[in-house]
Amino acid sequence: MGTTTVLKARPARPPSAPEPSVPRQTGRVPTGPGRRRRRAGMLMVAPALLHASLWIGLPVVVSVGLAFTKYDVLTAPEFVGLANFRDMLDDAVFRKSIVNTLLYTFFTVPFGMALGLLVALALHTGLKARGIFRTAVFLPQVTATVAIALVWLWIYNPSNGLLNTLLSFLGIEGPAWLSSTTWALPSVILVGIWQGIGMKMLIYLAALQSLPKELYEAASVDGASRVRQFFSITLPLLKPATFFVLITSMISAFQSFDQIYILTDGGPANSTTMMTYEIYKSAFREFRVGYASAQSLVLFVLLMGFTLVNKRIMGGSRGHN
Amino acid sequence: MATTELLKPVPAPGSPKAPAKGRPVPVGRIALYVSLSVVSLLMVVPFAWMVITSLKTPVEIASQDGGLLPEHWEFGNYVDALKAAPFATYARNSFVIAISHTVLNVLVASMAGYALARIRFRGSETIFYLFVAALMIPTYTKVLPEFLIVRFMPLAGGNDIFGQGGSGWLDSWWALIVPGAVTPFAVFLFRQFYLDLPVELEEAARLDGLGEFRIYARIMSPQVKPAFITVALLTFESSWNNFLWPLLVTHSDSLRVIQVGLSVFKTENGTQWHFLMAGTTLATLPMVVLFLVGQRYFVQGFATAGLK
Repeated sequence: MGTTTVLKARPARPPSAPEPSVPRQTGRVPTGPGRRRRRAGMLMVAPALLHASLWIGLPVVVSVGLAFTKYDVLTAPEFVGLANFRDMLDDAVFRKSIVNTLLYTFFTVPFGMALGLLVALALHTGLKARGIFRTAVFLPQVTATVAIALVWLWIYNPSNGLLNTLLSFLGIEGPAWLSSTTWALPSVILVGIWQGIGMKMLIYLAALQSLPKELYEAASVDGASRVRQFFSITLPLLKPATFFVLITSMISAFQSFDQIYILTDGGPANSTTMMTYEIYKSAFREFRVGYASAQSLVLFVLLMGFTLVNKRIMGGSRGHN
Repeated sequence: MATTELLKPVPAPGSPKAPAKGRPVPVGRIALYVSLSVVSLLMVVPFAWMVITSLKTPVEIASQDGGLLPEHWEFGNYVDALKAAPFATYARNSFVIAISHTVLNVLVASMAGYALARIRFRGSETIFYLFVAALMIPTYTKVLPEFLIVRFMPLAGGNDIFGQGGSGWLDSWWALIVPGAVTPFAVFLFRQFYLDLPVELEEAARLDGLGEFRIYARIMSPQVKPAFITVALLTFESSWNNFLWPLLVTHSDSLRVIQVGLSVFKTENGTQWHFLMAGTTLATLPMVVLFLVGQRYFVQGFATAGLK
């Protein structure tokens, strides 16, 4: 089935896992005049490989190397051992950014997933207008985060933005959403949930449509209620999709930057700063490139850690189809 | 294929397709419509608010007790916004970059994907796993060293052979186009598509004496057109929407892309909302149109990508 073949070979799979997408021997059997063929193959991979080596491979190596140096771009890097990592422990703002990143992730991802699943279930019932609804929900996903953040900046505008105008109709005086230390982070989180629902809905919808219908027929015959069917059949069968959505949305939540840059600049009083924003600040505003590399290494390790923990808890992504 | 499945109205398992068995009022169905309409409205309102604001006068925007809709529609805002900031230039730059990325990615990644799927050569397995590993590297681990590589690009922008002395590729088209031109995700996606093709096709072509490049270009690639459209649309989308990289590598106005242009406009003029929303509408429009036209490919691509 199209969806499943594509979905199962997901990026989240570690290289060590057995590669399942080669069930057949097609194209893998060395046939014909092998040498010319092999040379052609190498030639065809070469440009992409060269590009990836220079713009992904080399950067990763450089990044790890620089994390142990003091470097300001102008003078040569100087090896400082673990000093950057020690500095990070004393850096209250960076600690704050870790907390904020985690908060942002823990609110946008599960809430977004629940909403995405609900919308997907509603669309899966085969309504006539489902195409329109799906398009509406998915629209924010194709729009640039910068554009979205600018619109929300205007919606959150304290004096005459949409939100406070609507609240004033109800006789409520809304706060200055983005310049209040209490409301800024929740406001940013709300935008994150809003923008991310579309993607989560879409993956769930694709997964729902590949579920075997016979199971539901059997369950109906046995007299299982719709709610019961959802919890005993749908939810367990959606586990691989849930894992996929969880991992991918966590990765992107951890790396949110554009919305912070536009909406709050990390403020007020660092109440919305994120790890990515701190990395950007260290590198491009304070020119502490070594320190920024160390910070990005921490981001990478945290992300990997969360991915592995999730894989453990969810029992991995395998086992469907 | 995934798309056709997604677009077909599939009756839910267990749910009545029509109000069958003589049920009088489909209460559940009405509730469903109402809640979906509310959700859709919440998703669309910010866009509507953007367009509405772009058509108001500054006086009307500033007045505290103004209505939600403009009193008279100020279409001239768009003309004025284009004069206030060179949005046309920004849009052109974004367009050039997005098209270059799309063409390069489709060409280079499809070749690589084809070779990795259909040709077995020394190291092909390893190379495939390297691409998979590359998929998992977070943007922020790469972006800083990528910047340094651009900055110290040898023999460019006044740099010597050791990359010293000048500014390298900074503030040039090279920096905007080359580093993001090929994505491991595209290689990966193409490989998946080429894997599904029957082996008879290429065997027949080989018997006819076609070389490997011709088999790729003439025989196999036409079979995976959806892959090409999907990758092209996704590449264009992420390139058009990219913000951080162009922000980092350019500083001259003539090379500014539309997303960066918008963000600068926000602070420069004490935020003139009517202009800013007109600009944002202009920046959003191409993607919305492209999405509506190529929806099934976006859906398929995004469902595969999971993340951008």
